[in-house]
Amino acid sequence: MKEGFRQAMAWLHTWTGLIFGWLLFAIFLTGTLSYFKEEVSHWAQPEIRRHTLDPVTSLGLAQRYLERNAAHSDSWMIRLPSERDAALNVGWRDPEGGRRGFVRKDLDAQSGQPVDARDSRGGEFFYRFHFELQMPYPWGRWLSTLCAFIMLLGLVTGIITHKKIFKEFFTFRPGKGQRSWLDGHNAIGVLVLPFHLMISYSSLVLFMYMVMPASIMASYGNTNGYFNDLFGRDEAPKAAHVATPLVPLASLHAKVQALVPGARVGLIQVQSAGDRNARVIFTQSSADNVPYKRSANWTFDGATGELLKQGAPESAALMTSFSFAGLHMGNYAGPWLRWLYFAFGLAGTAVIGTGLVMWLGKRQLKHARSERLPGELRLVEVLNIASMSGLVLAVAGFFWANRLLPVALHGRADWEVNTFFLVWLASLLHAVLRPGRRAWGEQLAMGALAFALLPLLNALSTGQGLNVSVPAGDWAMAGFDLTALACGLFLAWAASKMLRPPKPVAKRAAKAAKVSAKMVEVQ
Amino acid sequence: MLSIALIGFAGFAALCLAMEKHFNELLKHKPRPAQLHALRVGGWLLLILSLVLSVHWRGWAHGLVEWAALLMAGVTLWVFGLPYMPRALLGLAAASLVLGPLLAVVAG
Repeated sequence: MKEGFRQAMAWLHTWTGLIFGWLLFAIFLTGTLSYFKEEVSHWAQPEIRRHTLDPVTSLGLAQRYLERNAAHSDSWMIRLPSERDAALNVGWRDPEGGRRGFVRKDLDAQSGQPVDARDSRGGEFFYRFHFELQMPYPWGRWLSTLCAFIMLLGLVTGIITHKKIFKEFFTFRPGKGQRSWLDGHNAIGVLVLPFHLMISYSSLVLFMYMVMPASIMASYGNTNGYFNDLFGRDEAPKAAHVATPLVPLASLHAKVQALVPGARVGLIQVQSAGDRNARVIFTQSSADNVPYKRSANWTFDGATGELLKQGAPESAALMTSFSFAGLHMGNYAGPWLRWLYFAFGLAGTAVIGTGLVMWLGKRQLKHARSERLPGELRLVEVLNIASMSGLVLAVAGFFWANRLLPVALHGRADWEVNTFFLVWLASLLHAVLRPGRRAWGEQLAMGALAFALLPLLNALSTGQGLNVSVPAGDWAMAGFDLTALACGLFLAWAASKMLRPPKPVAKRAAKAAKVSAKMVEVQ
Repeated sequence: MLSIALIGFAGFAALCLAMEKHFNELLKHKPRPAQLHALRVGGWLLLILSLVLSVHWRGWAHGLVEWAALLMAGVTLWVFGLPYMPRALLGLAAASLVLGPLLAVVAG
């Protein structure tokens, strides 16, 4: 390969990495948290208790509740409790109530009574943020798709730039300043490369309809028809206005079990309940298959209980794209694989973070002897601090707000989100006001405290601390607390490194100059 | 599942030792060319064996994904743990080489 080409790729890697790195870091971190979306939501709404799963009883309870409270609605939705989500979630269309004309209730899976859970977005907030970036539709999606493209570009240019990918495959040399950062950056990038490639490529597949809509527009005119075909949706027949009782949903569940033994049911939709033309659609849980396929659904006549239609198997092309979607979201993953997903997500975050640190570290060396950094480098330093340790603090802020805001507060869920952004903003100000290394150390120390104390806060405010959740076997709750504790310890370790005085500058500079002579990689 | 992780881990450890630089550092003596060759072949065979077992037990979809995830996790542990506790990891690799196939036979 020509040196000129490699240099061009290195240039591209360096500068796209810098410009998009801050945003990519946030997308990766919140996306990583989304692998535990249901668990985070469970922690955020501790009022919803976990019970042994019993789909038949749950369906009966949901049907009874909806028949009593939503008989006037033409469209119901039921989401059964799962291993990860404790709530029996029901919803119905009601032009006069609820957010966007849709009422949602969380029912207790044992009693069928609505649970008065605190108003919180929980894990849903981080999940939404990682591809919508809290921007109005469709701008956030466009921006995050662009970021996914840049990530893919960063991986490809990174591999081209990294000359000794096989020779240094197993190499990590700690305690050597810039050299170690580069080793770490390369090693996590290369060793977890299949995950990184999968995650960034599949993001593009997920938003393909938005990025390259030409073929859809040409054959459908709009995207609605395309999605109806894609997911095998049919227009339901109009209500006949002849009252006919809805068959027990549990009996339809038994029919699904006969067709696919052991199938877990995710969403159940009921149209025109109580009418002769009622339709019931069972959709298999996305936890059952690796591909995120939508063909696994069964449409029943709600009046007679007859099976009308089964989703047709997907074509090979669709299956490929659904496989990427499924791999990205990881709904199929059981506990240990989910933890690995989480770890690899953190690895992706670390690749971005180490890249940002190196960009600055290399340029700082030239100014090691002068009092202050040139303006543009100081700007990068401030943004590095705010986008990394600041974001970690903001996440902690969200969880503290979840426990400390009064339950009756109006617009409570919005205030949790506001807290997240206010803390983030505060950390930006703090980074502007304090010298670089101090700012890092103080924010990391603050984050360490905030995360390490979360289990205590949880125990004091809800009475569902580790002393309760571990004996009760509520591993979503206990896992959250333990992870927060581990996160706090890690941040404390990082903070102690930053708060200690740095190694003598002259020695570092001399060593680093030698290293950078060897480093053609990062320009 | 554990046996796939262990066999894959042993495979990567062998591939790492198959490089003269790492062999010198970890085992403190110079390797013979035949040793390096054997380690390389053995390492690849272990990786292939773990793939075959994973697909055989879990089918293509889950098998491939889980195999990739376990291998990535194992090799990351190896590379980042090596500077801090080389002896422990070498021991773990040796233990995996024995335990991995043993568990596979018991489970299979």
